[in-house]
Amino acid sequence: MTHSLWDLGRGQTAIIGGFDEELPESYCNRLTELGFYPGERVTCVQAPALGAPRVYRVSNSTFSLDDDIARFLLLRPADSRSS
Amino acid sequence: MNQAITIERSVCLIGSPNCGKTLLFNRLTGLSQKVANFPGVTVEIARGELSGQRGVSLLDFPGTYSLEAISAEEQVAVDQFTQALADPQLGLVLCVIDVTRLDKSLYFALQVAREARSAGKPLLVLANLIDVLENHGLDIDLDSLGKDMGAPVHGISARTGAGLDALHEQISTALSAPSAQPEPDDTPNTLLRGSVHQLTRRYGPRGDVLLRTQNRLDAFFLHSVFGGLAFFLVMYLLFQSIFTWATPLMDSVEGALRWLSDLVVPALGPQLLKDFAADAVFSGIGAFLVFVPQIFVLTFVIGILEDSGYMARAALICHCPLRFFGLTGKSFIPMLSGVACAIPGIYAARSIESPRRRFLTYLAIPLMPCSARLPVYTLLIAAFIPSTTVFGGLFGWQGLAMFLLYFFGMLMGLLVTAFVSRSSRVTESDLPFVLEMPAYRRPAIWPLLRKSWNRCGMFVTKAGPVILAVTVTVWVLGYFPNGGADLGESWLGRLGVFIEPVFAPLDLDWRYGVAILTSFLAREVFVGTLGVMFGIEGAEDNMVPLVDQIQASGLGLASGVALLVFFAVALMCVSTLAVLSRETASNRLVVQMFAAYVAMAYLLSLAAYHLVALFSG
Repeated sequence: MTHSLWDLGRGQTAIIGGFDEELPESYCNRLTELGFYPGERVTCVQAPALGAPRVYRVSNSTFSLDDDIARFLLLRPADSRSS
Repeated sequence: MNQAITIERSVCLIGSPNCGKTLLFNRLTGLSQKVANFPGVTVEIARGELSGQRGVSLLDFPGTYSLEAISAEEQVAVDQFTQALADPQLGLVLCVIDVTRLDKSLYFALQVAREARSAGKPLLVLANLIDVLENHGLDIDLDSLGKDMGAPVHGISARTGAGLDALHEQISTALSAPSAQPEPDDTPNTLLRGSVHQLTRRYGPRGDVLLRTQNRLDAFFLHSVFGGLAFFLVMYLLFQSIFTWATPLMDSVEGALRWLSDLVVPALGPQLLKDFAADAVFSGIGAFLVFVPQIFVLTFVIGILEDSGYMARAALICHCPLRFFGLTGKSFIPMLSGVACAIPGIYAARSIESPRRRFLTYLAIPLMPCSARLPVYTLLIAAFIPSTTVFGGLFGWQGLAMFLLYFFGMLMGLLVTAFVSRSSRVTESDLPFVLEMPAYRRPAIWPLLRKSWNRCGMFVTKAGPVILAVTVTVWVLGYFPNGGADLGESWLGRLGVFIEPVFAPLDLDWRYGVAILTSFLAREVFVGTLGVMFGIEGAEDNMVPLVDQIQASGLGLASGVALLVFFAVALMCVSTLAVLSRETASNRLVVQMFAAYVAMAYLLSLAAYHLVALFSG
């Protein structure tokens, strides 16, 4: 089963696998520019309650994403990075 | 912004959001553009003359993450940058990057380098926040980074001023060098993205060191329980600051104006002149000067929240509840700015990418309890709420009443956006919520004090003439034709009697009707007009006699509450309407908003009147 970024719990790390094909290309590009590119390690730093946007760390930056967009970032497990 | 100087050359300043670009602009020009530790603060191009370089202007462009725009506003910024590159006067491009977050800044910098090369413009990359790296014992090889980027990279700190002397020299050298020939460069963006990954891995500082403090603080401020409590505490302190803590400053202003009036008025000759100076001029000036300290304190406190990085966390916390009302977490900043003044709030809404949510934010901002409502609230609260305080004067009932009034205004704003959001058809796909979390920083107090001072100056120079003109007009209408002997027989009195039936259902007599009418130009005029109507000299300098008069006039609690509700809802600011018209490019929309909010204010105040009358017997 494919997991999305929104499924990542607080403190968990994964590798970005790609973008859901339903996500418009301009958003894919913007997320890539911000550091959310396939193959990059992403960590959920904070996951506030009540469905609030979560805070993710990519490289040296942290961004807050809500479920409307985090659901479109697809993940693969962190330990499969090298494969 | 010295218009008298002929600008011969220009330098363009560009960078990704929240990289410290505007602070650098202020450092290089000595100007005071709004600066905050929050993405999207610069919403239009600012221009200033470079310090020590006469005839050279510096252009500060809005921050954007890339030259591939995803919103109309970003496209405007990109188009303006492209036009600037084609301008023969442009002698240098300065591209600011956040050296602590290379991955975020480099893609845009590489795009700018490509475009500058193609246009034959020299580029200097400024690696800002070099002091943060030094504080963490980290280092970066800027020379090698520059070689790999194809443009020189110079380390600076806009915050501490490190590296700025050398920057001035480099700018002079670049501007005096002969023009370079364009070198067409069509490197595709995909290739640039690949370069960013390589460069970040090679030169990027260790994020775990830089983010350690940020993560610790976020664990508290974004905690499901403590984060919410901290948010409410911060907001409560914000409101207390503008009402309770600003009082000593307000008293000082009142005292100074009273002293000046006592000095000047007796020295004037004819009685007409004395009356004019005391009732019109000093009343008019006092009407807005008395709450300048509140604007100062509010701007300062909001500045601290922005500068510290907390504001982005507040936007995150607010996103879910605001989304329920059709807004976004990014609406929080414009709405909070609207608490000081609607105009900067409307400008700040430009950072909301989604046109629909930006429009909804525009609807909410005029209902935010702006500082112009403060004197009205202050007067009416003083007339109806006891001034009892607890905890050594730290908290008081009047402060609580003010808090509730502010809460009411915000709630109305949210209800309006929820109604419009749910009743209007969605014809576009909304842009998603992606917000950069800036690092926590210690606020720079002196720039904040200067910013607060400038905001007060801007308010006085913009609102002051309007308020003074209205007060003088009201005084003339109230003084003639009988020399101020009987206000009821004056032109103003006759006008008040004519419109009295409109306000009679609220049990407000003609004097309040006239004061409401004049406050449509500026809300704060209400106090000054009422002072003139009750024949009190310098009502704004000292509200106590006016409060006594209001209480003695038999104005009931129900009418007082109705007045407060009316002022909380009605859109009564000419300047706000003008800015809204410009931002939405629609006069029709603004007229509709004005009519709808005034009608809603009247109906709600009528409802409030009957409700309070029912319970108070």
